Amino acid sequence: MDTQALWLTLKLAVVTTFLLLCATVPLCHWLVFGKARWKSVIEAAASLPLLLPPTVLGFYLLVLLGPRTAPGRFLIHLIGHPIAFSFSGLVIGSMIYSLPFAVQPITSGFSGIAPEVLDAATLLGASRLRILIDLLLPLARRSIFTAAVLCFTHTIGEFGVVLMIGGDIPGATRTLSIAMYDQVQDFRYSEANRTAILLLIVSLLALILVYGRRKQLRRA
Amino acid sequence: MYRFLALLLFAPLAAAQTLRLAAAADLQPVLPPICAEFENQTHIHVDASYQSSATLATQIQNGGPFDLFMAADLSFPQRVISEGLADSDKPIPYARGTLVLWARNDSPFHHLSVDTLRDPALTTLAIANPEHAPYGRAAEASLKSLGLYDHLKPKFVVAENIAQTAQYVDSGNAQAGLISLTSAFTERLQADGHYIAMPRDSYPPILQGAVVLKNSSNRTQAHQLLDFLLSSPIQKELAARGLEPANSPGHTD
Repeated sequence: MDTQALWLTLKLAVVTTFLLLCATVPLCHWLVFGKARWKSVIEAAASLPLLLPPTVLGFYLLVLLGPRTAPGRFLIHLIGHPIAFSFSGLVIGSMIYSLPFAVQPITSGFSGIAPEVLDAATLLGASRLRILIDLLLPLARRSIFTAAVLCFTHTIGEFGVVLMIGGDIPGATRTLSIAMYDQVQDFRYSEANRTAILLLIVSLLALILVYGRRKQLRRA
Repeated sequence: MYRFLALLLFAPLAAAQTLRLAAAADLQPVLPPICAEFENQTHIHVDASYQSSATLATQIQNGGPFDLFMAADLSFPQRVISEGLADSDKPIPYARGTLVLWARNDSPFHHLSVDTLRDPALTTLAIANPEHAPYGRAAEASLKSLGLYDHLKPKFVVAENIAQTAQYVDSGNAQAGLISLTSAFTERLQADGHYIAMPRDSYPPILQGAVVLKNSSNRTQAHQLLDFLLSSPIQKELAARGLEPANSPGHTD
């Protein structure tokens, strides 16, 4: 078992999930309660990664945001190195790749909240931030939890984007799925088997956690 | 309607004249025009999949439906032979590859030499995965024999196969790369950058071998393609595209 790859994968999944939740909660708040007309355009764009193959994303990250274009150079100036071949690059790629898995559950969680509750809170003089923190987040906790687990597992299972922009660097971009690919290519089937079983168990446990908790919350 | 029926009837016959070729990624810039020439002469169509030699060998070992396997070394066809899947007991060498150091014209490295690899300004060097791409193995061997391997290892970015290695450098994401001469000879890379051949004696020769697969139903045609590739006009064409004849003494520059 490639423990370095295991830790890297877990780190990538944790960082991606955390940053993605921080970014999508305000985004979903705006999508559900905002008034802009072109909301549906943003909503559609946020769902695109569901539809597009990871190779499209990999291609854009590598070429369009590479050192040979103006937006790419700006980004390099910002983070200090090209997106490709770095851990932070993988985080950016994973965040885009898992975006719909955060946006979908959280938007449906927010839309499921009865408008009367919000009206009451507004009438009582609560600020919008206070409504978000004290009301919306606790009420949508089930959806946020689901979003977190889905992002986490989806990042662990990511392959195409990492293969295209990662550069297979141990400790920086060689995730479990890539390590396993190398093992299969190199005919190390028993090692590949161990990696596969680990991934299988982690994913199954995560899903059991989601479904089990959903029932628990429904009863509560 | 009748035309449609006729198509249905003759489709299986047409399919019998299609060869499925598993070809190493360094052949991607080389083979298509040669296969077209072959089709012109013999009316046999060639469908090629380009991957790293290891990927192809794994696919073949697991029942991949190919007629001919053209690897970028001799060890992967040998692996297919020892599994009892080939119709010969030795890989048939068909070419010899050359490893080159390549950089874009707009990179900081205007005059490439082995010393470029010692330059502190070099922060990323693309190589193919030594575990499953023969050119990656050659790159590793070459850097080791030049005494540069330990110094450069932290700067490696590792691509899945040699074609992706070229992609990493040409797109500007890696500053320089150890790629195949076949890639360096393509129009695109000739326009974008420049190369030097790595010292010939710094790595074991990249002898490329092929095997015809035993379970193929088109073995005759597969041998026909292999003979075509080994014929002297085609060997000359291969040389012009970066692959020397298998028995040549070596590239001289």
